[in-house]
Amino acid sequence: MFELICNVLLFVFLGFTYFTHVLEAKVPKSYLKNPNVLHPSVWPKAIIILLLICIAINIYKIIKKNKGNPEFTFSAFGKNSVAFFKSKMFLGMVILIVASFILEPLGFVVTGALIMFCYGMLLGEKKWWRLAIIAVVLGIALHIAFSGLLGVNLPRGTVPFLRSFSLFLENLV
Amino acid sequence: MSLGQMFVSGLSAVWGGGTMFLMVIVAIVLGTIFGALPGVSATMAVALGLTFTYTMGPVPAIVFLTAIYCSSITGGSITAILFKIPGVPSSAPTTFDGYPMAQRGEAGKALGVALLASAIGGLFSALVMFLLSSPLSKAALAFSNGDMFAITFLGLSILVVLDTDHILTTIISGLLGLLLACIGQDPMAGVARLTFGQSNLLSGMEMIPVLIGLFAITEVLKQTNPKKRLSAEDGVGNKGKVNTKMPSMKELWSIKWTLLRCSVVGCVVGILPGAGATIASFMCYTMENKLSKHPEKFGTGIIDGIAASEAANNAATGGAMVPLLCLGIPGGNAAAVMASALALKGVQMGPRLLTVQPEFLSATFITMIVTNIVMVIVAIGIAKVFAQILAIPYYYLGPIILLLATIGSFSEGNFVGVSVMVIAGILGIVVKYMHLNSAAIVLGLVLGGMCEKYFSQAFQKAHIVTTQMGFGDYVSKVFGGLFGTPIGAIVMTACILLLLSPLYMPLIKKARGKKA
Repeated sequence: MFELICNVLLFVFLGFTYFTHVLEAKVPKSYLKNPNVLHPSVWPKAIIILLLICIAINIYKIIKKNKGNPEFTFSAFGKNSVAFFKSKMFLGMVILIVASFILEPLGFVVTGALIMFCYGMLLGEKKWWRLAIIAVVLGIALHIAFSGLLGVNLPRGTVPFLRSFSLFLENLV
Repeated sequence: MSLGQMFVSGLSAVWGGGTMFLMVIVAIVLGTIFGALPGVSATMAVALGLTFTYTMGPVPAIVFLTAIYCSSITGGSITAILFKIPGVPSSAPTTFDGYPMAQRGEAGKALGVALLASAIGGLFSALVMFLLSSPLSKAALAFSNGDMFAITFLGLSILVVLDTDHILTTIISGLLGLLLACIGQDPMAGVARLTFGQSNLLSGMEMIPVLIGLFAITEVLKQTNPKKRLSAEDGVGNKGKVNTKMPSMKELWSIKWTLLRCSVVGCVVGILPGAGATIASFMCYTMENKLSKHPEKFGTGIIDGIAASEAANNAATGGAMVPLLCLGIPGGNAAAVMASALALKGVQMGPRLLTVQPEFLSATFITMIVTNIVMVIVAIGIAKVFAQILAIPYYYLGPIILLLATIGSFSEGNFVGVSVMVIAGILGIVVKYMHLNSAAIVLGLVLGGMCEKYFSQAFQKAHIVTTQMGFGDYVSKVFGGLFGTPIGAIVMTACILLLLSPLYMPLIKKARGKKA
């Protein structure tokens, strides 16, 4: 059922995109004066049309394949959805989304240590204190290695004392 | 530049006063370890390797990434033999004979065969790449835009044949990749398309974060599910010690034809866009089983099986570089990641590479030669300590991959890159449940820009009209753009036949069945 819903959503989204967002600005008249050029909307529109046809066939195939399947119902989908939202994979996704938001204010050292700690716990490490030490050490070591040694700019954070700490680490090398 | 000059230029690039050579060794160690770690594919190894190359110049970057790419494929065989865990998917057939040999106490012999076969396959393909690149690049310079479109499109069409069980979803995946490549300003008029009002998308999809997300983040998310976490078959039976007794010369001589056949087939499969090391190794293992005088012994622990798989998957690495360097078309996922990384460095992949930037081609060739030789020594050393390295539990390895992926996505100094990586990683899971083909999406994304540019230019030049264009003119222009030259017509016909094969192949099979 998940596959079917995703395909339907994709179909609707592509249909909406076809009519509203293929071109976000007007094509310069000087460009259109040349009758031999390809209009900028042709290529994406052709792809979307092909996609809509293929997805429609795919939706038909999914429905045909799962006809009579007891798992192919909305109630079964609801149960599976609840199970998914309780799963470790979903929590992993949440950790990553949160990390992408806190990276700018907290910087790489803290965010990296938090990712290491939270994901390590999620993956089953029982000794949290050992993981916490490794997470902090690794966050600092990677920042020094990449920012200090390899010259790759990593986020220092916008919180003043975290930024100062990152700068201090970079100046160590 | 002659072949001899290229050889010398490549040697000086790779030696680089000793520091570059040291870097190659570091890359080989990293690549072998990445490749051997379960859950880190060759593509992910190259993607993670990118993190280290952001401050490098183009030549060091190409040397570093090529060394990681080649050695990661070989690294996968170590865990395949010792623990029955293929470090990379292309080493899966190596487990069939490698692991039974390790259990019999012949781990050293199995590793020796795997490493030597890898080296021979890799060297063979590097040589093929070197010899083919120059004439192919020169030939490609004479190609018209329509020809180049047809060749690029062929890369996408081949995917349909490779995944015959999921043809429709593969086509959808390829088209989605092409559509993603349309995001941003159009290549001819510079008009914003599919940006949904987001100014961040004006410059197009950020390729590297998308690739890191699809290959690294998705894999870690998959491994988060405890039921599917990678684990060794058992305690290996060697208790952390690896028997390093190497195969004899007589044993190696007995597999000479296997090595040759699989190197050739692996290289050819590698050249085909979309087909990669995994298909090459499975194909060659099956082929050798059928050609063998003792097929019943395959799977029980014989060196032929290991040699077939490892020679093929390493030969595919060099093969995959041929279309990438000569035509700008990546032969597989890892090559696609390399293409994106090298484009950032200003490397112009394609027919003009040989004339404009020949040092990149020669550096790649010599790196492959050096890597495949040095790798044998390095990998034996790593294999001896690998029982300890593999003891790193996934609850440390997984988060470390996430940290490296974050650095890789941010290294252009853009926070959007990290968000794109996370979104791509999550979408990778959705793609998996929708039974879509992530390799096809990536190929579509990488080739999309080229496809559109070549098609637009071919369209513009074909059937020139001076007044307003009518429908007939439009059809003539499309037809002329695609089929206007002999090469374009042949390749486009091949593409159409490939794309329609799902329709007519069952009919042919049915007719054959009736005859039989």
